[in-house]
Amino acid sequence: MAKNKKEIIAIQSVSKIYHLGETVVKALDNVSLSIYENDYISIMGPSGSGKSTLMNIIGCLDVPTKGDYKFNSELISEMNDNQLANIRNQKIGFVFQTFNLLPKLNAMQNVEVPLIYSSLGKKDRTERVEEALSIVGLQDRMTHKPNELSGGQRQRVAIARALVNKPSIILADEPTGNLDSKSGNDILKFFAKLHKAGNTIIMVTHEESVAKLSKRRIDIFDGKIARDE
Amino acid sequence: MNNFFKNILIGLFSIRSNMTRVILTSTGLTIGIFTVSLVTASISSIDKEFAKSMDYYGNDKIYVGTWPWSFDFDWWKYRNRPKIEESSLEYINQYSEYVTDVSIKKNTWTKASFGNKASWLQLNGVYPSYQDMLSGTEIVNGRFFSQNEWELQRRVIIVGASVRDGFFEGKDPIGKKIRLNNVTFEIIGELKKQGMGMVPGGSLDSLVLMPSTTFERILTRWGFDELVLQTNPDNIPLAKEEVGMIMRVARKIPPGDDDNFSVNSADAYQTQFNDMKNAIAGMGFLVTGISLVVSAIGIMNVMFVSVRERTREIGLRKAMGATNFNILTQFLSEAVAIAIIGGSVGILLIRLTVFGISSFPIASFNGSTLPVSFDAILIFYTFMVCVVIGVLAGMIPARTAANLNPIDALRDE
Repeated sequence: MAKNKKEIIAIQSVSKIYHLGETVVKALDNVSLSIYENDYISIMGPSGSGKSTLMNIIGCLDVPTKGDYKFNSELISEMNDNQLANIRNQKIGFVFQTFNLLPKLNAMQNVEVPLIYSSLGKKDRTERVEEALSIVGLQDRMTHKPNELSGGQRQRVAIARALVNKPSIILADEPTGNLDSKSGNDILKFFAKLHKAGNTIIMVTHEESVAKLSKRRIDIFDGKIARDE
Repeated sequence: MNNFFKNILIGLFSIRSNMTRVILTSTGLTIGIFTVSLVTASISSIDKEFAKSMDYYGNDKIYVGTWPWSFDFDWWKYRNRPKIEESSLEYINQYSEYVTDVSIKKNTWTKASFGNKASWLQLNGVYPSYQDMLSGTEIVNGRFFSQNEWELQRRVIIVGASVRDGFFEGKDPIGKKIRLNNVTFEIIGELKKQGMGMVPGGSLDSLVLMPSTTFERILTRWGFDELVLQTNPDNIPLAKEEVGMIMRVARKIPPGDDDNFSVNSADAYQTQFNDMKNAIAGMGFLVTGISLVVSAIGIMNVMFVSVRERTREIGLRKAMGATNFNILTQFLSEAVAIAIIGGSVGILLIRLTVFGISSFPIASFNGSTLPVSFDAILIFYTFMVCVVIGVLAGMIPARTAANLNPIDALRDE
């Protein structure tokens, strides 16, 4: 691994424990992990293995029960809701399996959503949105609503939304899961392009073929890292 | 702050896409605002009219008549009372300490005509001293009749403002002759316009004053007499008591027997009027209160539905960096906006209603009794009420939304 690169994420002996009634579920069990700038990682594992929990913690949607999580040397595990929201807004771009576009907003407005929660003015926001949509090649679909776009195009809008705030990492949860193979391949090619351009990408998938395209692969099993190479 | 307004805009945007639901929900508030406005408007109008009527009767006058001034008198009890005699005035003049001036006031209604125009007017036969006892009005044109004219039973009259408009198209009526009960009278004076009031007939201006002697000679067929007594406003209660005793002497009522006359003053009306006004206000505000509570519950319900429907959106917005406060603001402004829409429709309805009433030819409900400043105050209060109701109704759903866990919210189907 490229140790000379800047470390973005440092996960130190992190555990996440859920109490479901009487039973105690260890979704993550003493996991340690470092993620560096310009990494292209796929996280694999069967359902219930803890990969979603790991994604949620990396994405600052959840905090660990035990252990330290540092993002750009900032200690996330002790932040409050507002600080977490700010980190998510500034540092992390999410891409979801089901796109999660707001159906009543057009492509531009959807991409603008993260910027609304930043301190940018209207003019800057429009500039950024247009830039992000042209990166994903949808500059001529800006005023289309999600139901007027194909699945692949919708996912590209979602990627533009993830990119618009120039985040440190892009977190993609099964980004090709709801797409036909051609659109899926397009999206993966696009991820490769983004990686080449210097972005850090972390992708959860259960498809071997998808995982092969990444530069680093982490397998999770029973809340533990079973493989990291 | 910038963020704050952006979240309000998001809230308003979501309303736009659910307009039917929003309108239905806000109807309750529309009704509430409409009722409260109507009650306030009615009370303010009644108040104004009543104040004018109070001026008309004067706060420094006592009226001795057959019947008490009351909204709930017992007609059977008073119907056999003897008529008021002018001769009682001599006793009052002689014995009263508080009464400074007196006049008879003979009342009747009669048909007045000028050329081919005719109208019903209230006629009062009074003493020359009544000139100084006019209340709520004064001579603005011409003069009052003289002692001489009173003694000679001259057919001279002082007319209210409606005569000028009704008979003379706004031109000077002085010196003109009109016919009252088919007898010709000369107009020698004109009274200042008073407008509408809560008196029989509604208008305080359809009035004709003439010497009581002339009245007696020509118009004795029907009507009733009152004694009008001038006193100091501070002495009204004492003067009323004193006049009551003098009247008993004048009428030779044995001790222990009930009065067979009534000593009235405007303050008696005031008390009853206040009771009536409070009753109207109480009912109105009760209805309003109920409809506001019901509409608040309605808004709360719709907001819960909205939060439920948009759980994924909330999750997404949170993942994109929305703070709890951002989400709270978004949903609160949605609730407030629903409330304001309801309130605005209410204001619109009340304006239309007032406009409708004022263009409807019922004089006593004339829309002109609504003061202009009323609009701005009404809009301001409505706005405040809507904001408060919106915040109260939206708080719990908005907090629910704000406190949603983003992971669970994103997973919501």
